Amino acid sequence: MVDETTLYHKRKRPAEAFLLSAVYGAASMSVILLAGMVGYVFFKGAGTVSWSFLTTAASVLQKTSGIGGNLVNTLYIAVLTLLAAVPVGVGAAVYLNEYAKPGKLVRLVEFTTETLSGIPSVIFGLFGMVFFGETLGLGYSLLAGAFTLSLMVLPLIVRNTQEALRTVPDSYRMGALGLGASRFYMIRTILLPSAMPGILTGLILAAGRIVGESAALLFTAGSGSRLPKPGAGASDTIRRLWEKAHESGGTLAVELYLQMQNGRYETAFGIGCVLIGIVLCINLLLKLGADRLGNKA
Amino acid sequence: MERSKISVRNLELSYGAARALKNVSMEIRGCAVTALIGPSGCGKSTFLKCINRMNDFVEGVRIRGSVFLDGEDIYDRRVDTTLLRKKVGMVFQQPNPFPMSIYDNIAYGPRLHGIRGRQELDGIVEEALKGAAIFEETKDRLKKSALGLSGGQQQRLCIARALAVRPEVLLMDEPTSALDPVSTRKVEELIRNLKKKYTVVIVTHNMQQAARVCDDAAFFLAGEMVESGPGDVLFSRPKDRRTRDYVAGRFG
Repeated sequence: MVDETTLYHKRKRPAEAFLLSAVYGAASMSVILLAGMVGYVFFKGAGTVSWSFLTTAASVLQKTSGIGGNLVNTLYIAVLTLLAAVPVGVGAAVYLNEYAKPGKLVRLVEFTTETLSGIPSVIFGLFGMVFFGETLGLGYSLLAGAFTLSLMVLPLIVRNTQEALRTVPDSYRMGALGLGASRFYMIRTILLPSAMPGILTGLILAAGRIVGESAALLFTAGSGSRLPKPGAGASDTIRRLWEKAHESGGTLAVELYLQMQNGRYETAFGIGCVLIGIVLCINLLLKLGADRLGNKA
Repeated sequence: MERSKISVRNLELSYGAARALKNVSMEIRGCAVTALIGPSGCGKSTFLKCINRMNDFVEGVRIRGSVFLDGEDIYDRRVDTTLLRKKVGMVFQQPNPFPMSIYDNIAYGPRLHGIRGRQELDGIVEEALKGAAIFEETKDRLKKSALGLSGGQQQRLCIARALAVRPEVLLMDEPTSALDPVSTRKVEELIRNLKKKYTVVIVTHNMQQAARVCDDAAFFLAGEMVESGPGDVLFSRPKDRRTRDYVAGRFG
């Protein structure tokens, strides 16, 4: 029997202490491993990264070995992919959440998008090469790569937009409809602005996947690394961009893969540094954006 | 007798197999406050939403019968619901300002109905805020988020938002049930003022409130409209035994 006239009976609980140290250990291990790996990549690669590394294209003639072309390709493919995927993804989410009657069809579409997000990216690459590359005749081009990637990131955008739409209170919908707004007007003026943080989250997550993808791009966008020349004037720039979209172009991740294959580890680590830098920026952007939008309302 | 603003004939409403309104007919006078009372689930809110067709958005609802607004059946195929809801505005139980500034909340309706001019909007916003007795409190913070207002202020803002589209009828679904007594008194005062220009139909759980604000009243029970008439008659000398029991607080 414990003497209950006093509360001072605090005991040591060995099992608890052990568990606590175990979870602490696990937590610090994951941080250390990650930091260690990032640190190692920077240690090996930082020396390679220089202004000319970032701004020139690899050329045997001019004896340069930069990744400027790949950097431009990466940005271009990210923009093209999002241009294709965001309208479709947001549209699909709006349909599923606001128009479709809950039932078998909606569940089927949701199940499909979920499955789609679990498919290995090589399979997207295979499909993209055969369908966009051969059937649609796009060959190895940034456009074929971007279309392939937009299929891949579509679930991310649909899912995040849907989540965001679900958190918009029904009272907002009823308030707008009660004033005489049509469904479409209500969606445009109330729902989409309220859901914007979620939509942005999906968009930035998608950007992260695009930047890091190699398998789906190797056989769709190819590995070109030519640095485009700036156009003279607006219409010339548009024409050049259009042509560029039909050319082969390797992103940073694809170039990294190719450099590794050829045993040029220094360049590979250099690209690794740049990629990690980009992903870090994207994540910071995500956090900043979410915080700012979250506080605005 | 003066002509009714709203005239409901044999209104039936069912969700699937459940009948929520059973053959309801009643007349609602213009420029007067009509209170709908009755226990929870008696169909009074459902009835209210029939007057501007907000039930259209509920899954699986079937409606028969007619609701005439100034002699036109609002359930006619040719009715433009946008126009209907411009004429028949609605204030909800929970204050539901949009997550935007006070000004944009009020201007939402006018913009929706095509008013873009800056000066015209400014005028409408001020008029609506004054009409809902919240202008003095908000005039210096029109650009601030409406979500920063207190619950009572939010509800008056929502009333102002409804007024900004210049409706003829204002439907209020338990507009004070989420408010404290002081805010409730302000909203009640406002309702009594509104009837000078608007036809007000209010659903309330609170009998004292109904007695305080209404000219006419109607008692609903289990989907039927049991009795309607001038408020003082309904509260002091009800004809139906069920109304008498409810008003006396014997059930519900």
